[in-house]
Amino acid sequence: MSIASVLEWIESTDLSTAIREGALPYPIIGGIHLLGIALFGGMVLVTDLRLLGWAMRRRPVSDIVQQLQAWKWAGFVVVAVSGLLLAWAEPQKLYRSPAFWVKMALLALVGVHALVFRARVYGNTARLDVASTVEARLAASLSLLLWAGLIVSGRLIAFDA
Amino acid sequence: MFAASFFEWLSTSPWANAMNGPEWAFPVVQSLHFIGFAFSIGTIAIVDLRLLGWAMRRQSAAELAADLDPWTRVGFALMLITGPLMFSADAVSYHNNPSFQFKMVCLLLALLFHFTIHRKVARSGASPLAAKLAGGLSLVLWTGVVAGGRMIAFV
Repeated sequence: MSIASVLEWIESTDLSTAIREGALPYPIIGGIHLLGIALFGGMVLVTDLRLLGWAMRRRPVSDIVQQLQAWKWAGFVVVAVSGLLLAWAEPQKLYRSPAFWVKMALLALVGVHALVFRARVYGNTARLDVASTVEARLAASLSLLLWAGLIVSGRLIAFDA
Repeated sequence: MFAASFFEWLSTSPWANAMNGPEWAFPVVQSLHFIGFAFSIGTIAIVDLRLLGWAMRRQSAAELAADLDPWTRVGFALMLITGPLMFSADAVSYHNNPSFQFKMVCLLLALLFHFTIHRKVARSGASPLAAKLAGGLSLVLWTGVVAGGRMIAFV
């Protein structure tokens, strides 16, 4: 089965047609995606700024990272599910969009970032409460870059014909 | 009419021409707008969730509000620079767009609420009920701003 036929099949599903052709589903799901970015994105920002020592310095790193973790996961699920639904509506257009592939590559890098830094930074905050490490600041800086890259590439998708 | 000619002038201004010039100008400015609202609405939402008693309970709302305030303002600054830039690119049609008008009403209310009641409640450790109401209303208003903004492109 070729990729083209898979994309065609996705577009022919009822769900895809409903999102693409209904007046309300697409903007509503897009709105949820955007709200998720505001909430979840804001929490990622605050975590990174704390790791860099730029925000909330009165509080130990572990306080911020631990208390926001569950919320960040919830936000991630909201953004991912709404994003998947938006993609399901027009897979053929996305397949041709360079910005979409840049965004997917950046998402893969977010996964790599988690694998590399999870144990030593985000799961090791007791150590960071004593003193910041180069690793923690590197993790935060890279996270901020990936985060900004995801927003820019996501926005550019709409401008790829 | 004064307003109409003002918006027409605005859409021929140098910054409007810049926005309508290169293909990448609009999406890049729009991306900065998104980054701005993640800073501002994201940090406000953290305070709201604390006011509701749902998140960050090891800190007081007062402490969170004070510590996050500079970043909220960074976000406001970014939004209030990039927003009018995008507006000027097509001022007349935005001005007439019902979603845009809805967004501006929500934005005005949200900002007004943020700098008055919300700030007072967050900083003074008001009663749990007042805190919950302020946190909830703030989330609703900012949700209206984002949702209205998203709808602009579809109306």
